[in-house]
Amino acid sequence: MPAVLTNRRAVIVEDNADIRRLLAQIVADQGFTVVEAETGRDGLDLIRAGGADLITLDLNLPDLDGIEVCRQVRTFSDAYILMITARADEVDRLSGLDTGADDYISKPFSPRELQARIGALFRRPRSQPVDPVPSADQERAAEVQRSLLPAEPLRLQDYEIGGRCRPTRSVGGDFFDWSATENGVQVTVADAMGKGMGAALIAATVRAVLRSSNRHTDLNRAFEAASQALEWDLAQSSSFVTIFHARLDAGSGSVDYVDAGHGLGLHLYDGGLRRLPSGGPPVGAVPGSTWTAGSLSLAPGDSLLVLSDGLLDAFDSVDAAMDAVADVAAGRDSAQDVCEAVLDLAGSAVADDVTAVMLRRCPVGSTEDGAL
Amino acid sequence: MQFTVETTPAYAEVNGSGRLNMVAAPLLREVVAAVVAKGSHHVVVNMEGTDFMDSSGLGALIGCLKIARQAGGDLRIANVQPQVKMVLELTSMHRVLTPYESVDAAFSND
Repeated sequence: MPAVLTNRRAVIVEDNADIRRLLAQIVADQGFTVVEAETGRDGLDLIRAGGADLITLDLNLPDLDGIEVCRQVRTFSDAYILMITARADEVDRLSGLDTGADDYISKPFSPRELQARIGALFRRPRSQPVDPVPSADQERAAEVQRSLLPAEPLRLQDYEIGGRCRPTRSVGGDFFDWSATENGVQVTVADAMGKGMGAALIAATVRAVLRSSNRHTDLNRAFEAASQALEWDLAQSSSFVTIFHARLDAGSGSVDYVDAGHGLGLHLYDGGLRRLPSGGPPVGAVPGSTWTAGSLSLAPGDSLLVLSDGLLDAFDSVDAAMDAVADVAAGRDSAQDVCEAVLDLAGSAVADDVTAVMLRRCPVGSTEDGAL
Repeated sequence: MQFTVETTPAYAEVNGSGRLNMVAAPLLREVVAAVVAKGSHHVVVNMEGTDFMDSSGLGALIGCLKIARQAGGDLRIANVQPQVKMVLELTSMHRVLTPYESVDAAFSND
């Protein structure tokens, strides 16, 4: 039985008289006081004059585009907006959501379906406007995001690892991760589109999916499974994520990696630096993508350094950034020191999240030993 | 960032000057969605005046490409500046969003 909502006002904006009456009836049955408008302008006037808790909005109105009405409503009202469209394709749906609609439904719809959607809308907590000062929630989110970074240094004979991530806001779309595998370690650096809380939610999902993908022994298969799992979620949020994901075989020093539109995996050797070729677009950017894995060999003293593109904002070109990175890496022995120095290169003026992770194979005869 | 649209029989040209970032990204999507909804399924985004693009801006271009392709058309970019070119190459998206030398060249071989 649908919950009866009392003292709530619904505005039905629909030019087709039959559908308008049907909508009014269904919405009234859910306990709303209903007013009706035939055009976008009349609808806006009714909403401005009397307020609204719920607006059903037809996309094809005689005067204004439904998307435009939606956008205008959002400048003064946070009523729940349900878009109703006869064009049941993805485009309308996405643009409807982007302009501030809460949900959409395509014609023809059943009264029960409409009631269920409205019920679901009112069970959903209303999002708050962005607050420039971090709220307690954001502080907590930042804490959670930090706790998702690897806490313990990796203990692996002849190797050391370090990492650092600095979001521009309290949380961000960059993250890094590493975890032990049977033969060594797997390392991930990823950058979700955008900044702030939305990007952070995507980042946390990517981390979980990639962590669980290590049950596949074949890297290509593992990445394929992970990207398939992520693609749908990313499409829903019109987002994408760049990922550098690598696995080290510690005994041989061989590293297999997949670079999905990340472009900043670096092989550091003997004072030199080589950018590793990418294997395809970011995950979620181009539906049905596949990625070609690459490989490199870490000789004693060599490193794999993976950065995020926030660093590039501080330089005129990728080459200039790479020269600076090679310089700071050459003078330092510990992987963590190199990562800190790379973030210092970015400075505090950079308006993007910045991340660096370094996996280093210790030089032969080095006194630095793992715990095992 | 302000966008202007010019429509020719062959394509619609969308012009934007400034920084294509989190603020401008939804605006570009709206502009291209409206252009495509009005029947211009072939869209060229003239990026001569776009001196900066971040990941949200790239996301908007990808979204606009999807909108045009779902309508049976395509979206192409022209006059791409160095920083935008760098972002496209870094992400391997230059294979999907290939920069054209000029607006005229974008659909000249179709």
